[in-house]
Amino acid sequence: MAKVPEELPGDEAYTGDVPRAVPTKPMTRSSLAVGLPVVVVAVIILVLPLFIPSFVSSLVTKMMIYGLFGMSLNIIWGYAGIPSFGHAAFFGAGGYAAAILTLKVGISSFWLNLLLAIIATAIIAAILGVPAFRVFGVGAGAVNPIYFLLATIAFGELLSRVAIAVRPVTGGSTGLSGIPAPHLGLGFKMTSGRYYYLVFFITIVCLFIIYRVVNSRYGYALRGIHDNERRMQALGYNTWLYKYTSWIIAAAFAGVAGFMFAHFGGTMVPNNLAMITSDIAFLLVIMGSTTVFFGPLVASVVIVGVDYLSSVYLPERWPLIFGAMFVVTIMVIPQGLGVFILKLWRKVVRGAAA
Amino acid sequence: MSTALVTGLNGLSYAFILFLLAAGFSLTFGVMGVLNLTHGALFVFGAYVGLQVIDSFSAFWLAIIAAAVSLAVIGFLLYYLFLRHLYNKVPEQAVLTIGLGYMAANVILWIWGPRAQIAQTPHILTGALKVGGLGFPIYRIFICGVGLLVLGLLWWIQDRTRWGAIIRAGMDNKEMTVSLGINYGFVSTAVFLLGIALAGVAGILGAPILGAYPTMGDNLLLLTLIVVVVGGTGYIQGTMLGAFVIGMLDTFGKAYVPKTALFFAYVVFLIILLVRPSGLIGRKVF
Amino acid sequence: MAPLLETRDISVHFGGLTAVKNVSFGIEPGERLALIGPNGAGKTTLFNVLTGQLKPSAGAVYFKGRDITRAKVFERTHMGIARSFQITSLFPYHTVKVNALIALEGTRKGRYNVVRYLMKDKIAQADAQKLLESTELWELRDEVVSSLAYGQQRRLEMALSLASDPELLLLDEPSCGLTTAESADITTRIRDLGSKITVLMIAHDMDLVFGVAERVILLHYGEIACEGTCDEIRSNQMVKDIYMGSRKVRHGR
Repeated sequence: MAKVPEELPGDEAYTGDVPRAVPTKPMTRSSLAVGLPVVVVAVIILVLPLFIPSFVSSLVTKMMIYGLFGMSLNIIWGYAGIPSFGHAAFFGAGGYAAAILTLKVGISSFWLNLLLAIIATAIIAAILGVPAFRVFGVGAGAVNPIYFLLATIAFGELLSRVAIAVRPVTGGSTGLSGIPAPHLGLGFKMTSGRYYYLVFFITIVCLFIIYRVVNSRYGYALRGIHDNERRMQALGYNTWLYKYTSWIIAAAFAGVAGFMFAHFGGTMVPNNLAMITSDIAFLLVIMGSTTVFFGPLVASVVIVGVDYLSSVYLPERWPLIFGAMFVVTIMVIPQGLGVFILKLWRKVVRGAAA
Repeated sequence: MSTALVTGLNGLSYAFILFLLAAGFSLTFGVMGVLNLTHGALFVFGAYVGLQVIDSFSAFWLAIIAAAVSLAVIGFLLYYLFLRHLYNKVPEQAVLTIGLGYMAANVILWIWGPRAQIAQTPHILTGALKVGGLGFPIYRIFICGVGLLVLGLLWWIQDRTRWGAIIRAGMDNKEMTVSLGINYGFVSTAVFLLGIALAGVAGILGAPILGAYPTMGDNLLLLTLIVVVVGGTGYIQGTMLGAFVIGMLDTFGKAYVPKTALFFAYVVFLIILLVRPSGLIGRKVF
Repeated sequence: MAPLLETRDISVHFGGLTAVKNVSFGIEPGERLALIGPNGAGKTTLFNVLTGQLKPSAGAVYFKGRDITRAKVFERTHMGIARSFQITSLFPYHTVKVNALIALEGTRKGRYNVVRYLMKDKIAQADAQKLLESTELWELRDEVVSSLAYGQQRRLEMALSLASDPELLLLDEPSCGLTTAESADITTRIRDLGSKITVLMIAHDMDLVFGVAERVILLHYGEIACEGTCDEIRSNQMVKDIYMGSRKVRHGR
């Protein structure tokens, strides 16, 4: 069964809110043309470690984790049209959950901790979602778009300050380190090589779920709300409920990404909750294309790659390069890499079919 | 109890620094609708330029002017190179300016190094005013004075002058204002540059109190945003009120409950969002 | 027979301005009622109270005997009230078919389903086809809405309003911006809606009003100035005075 990555039709133009695409006629596509690249990429990732040095595997692990982080944000940013600038709050929450559960509470089961992390993240999202949607959307309190932006920025910052303050639990400003390798309870020891496959497995499962969600009736409702919330209400949709639940779903996936991140790096610091991490999230979304399903995954490859190169050649200048990526994306490729690659791919397919 | 008065002065002067910083942001956002998140970095840049001038020429007043002018130039470049292409696209402006903020912080680090700059209060303003056994730092009194002056000036412009009327009309209905033949573009650009210059001046004035180090931009940006939301956009008195609340809360918080100071500011912020989203004295936009 | 929709003493104040004052009227099941009046008469404000977008300062709205004054917009749709928009309100970045699919889901039980693909759902697709065929938009189903002509968009607008199978249809200037031919088309469509649907519309276009309405209410300065059948209104001197020759105005405000 080939997967058909659904994408919102794409060309370039902007409406003035969340970056949108002005559509062209949607192309009919054969399952093979679309399902094939997905399978190919998956196979490549599976066999890659056999051919490359382990530090590259490590990079790819990072790419998958950040890719999932970006995908989680795109659920609300690209599909529902909710531009959250504080998504790291949930990423960090998932990571800190991993750290606290293993180091402070003493639970060693990876799967149980993952479940608890998801629940904790969802609860935090449920709480923060209440003031957030007070200031966003048709029928909300303040109509000024900046307020939602500020609210979301504040969430991440607030949580990071909580993390700094509650020293006994979260390790204060130095954070928690020495997070042990995941204990799967399956009898074998976890190495970083094996962790690669664990991350791959979890990421694939999450992506599959996300794919189903955004293409379900619920997902289409989110798209409708993005395009015209007023109309959606007139059609009978409780738009607040959709936004609120999509916020929680996106948070949960970010929590999963953060959880995997914690076991990957072994350390969690308050900055993982703060704006600097949220900035990575929306660079992933903006650079990747909000309107293409796999967009953030592509962006993840680029960003992690550039980060690595920078750490080798220009370690002092990373913030400059990072900032430059924002500027270049907005000014030069505003529609994102995802759209660009999609168009390229279509040209190739058309060429091959001819 | 008596030390509370000194803390009060500290809080008030801090509030005025925040006011100068946030007023600039409130002007650029409220008037031009431009979300300029480099604002924190601009403050830092102003501080660094000013301190460099003091270092080279030993003239405090020159430093203030240098900060204002250099920032106005930067503001103009910002507008000309980037912001003018992103008219009305708020998330793009946000993303772009956040990126520029990172770049700016790193450039400052590159040029001046990672360690905090030493910022001394200028010679004539050092020392403390002794009243009833308490010492009130003169520099902080000076800050309050400057702050009041700027507050008064901006308030007067807002309420009593033609420019202020134009700006208020423009905030309500831009198309109408433009169609009335008023050169709104010129006014709004001037206000934008003024706002940015104010940030720079706030930076150099605040340097003896807050210090100057390359990564302080983030924190200041967040403070600015909180002040603007709590106080409300559109009215200069709202920005002052917001700055006052946050400045006092933060200073007293730091004095009595260390390490949780900024936390209270965020809590107030969220409460305002829940209860009174348009701010304490804000424009309600339909 | 009890009225389907009834308003009692609706008043709406904005600050010092009274937009609507003590408006009471009812509409019977199956009836076609038109709300007319010059610009600023309060038609849109009253309409917004009926759709739920605005809460009145005083008074109440009853639907099928139930007080719905405080009901939210989406709740009213589930009760059987639907509306169209004066300025076409569609999903511009999606195809006509997707527009129809989304519209139909609004009142369907499975609309929170996160598991089943919408595009592969046979029932949803069939219903969308039926809806689009009824407004001759099926051939355009894969066109993206922003590329449609205005008249076609208006037809889709009407189709979306009917997606929830409403008992009461509130139309806001249905012929706004349409050519004479297109207006005549809309007039026919509204007439052909059948007696199961009750229609209340705001209109400036008198040809539309006289072509569809059984009863007409004239609003002036927020109050009901007069009401009656088409013939009564047509021959009423006050109506002529109020309008002062604006009978031929086709575009909205």
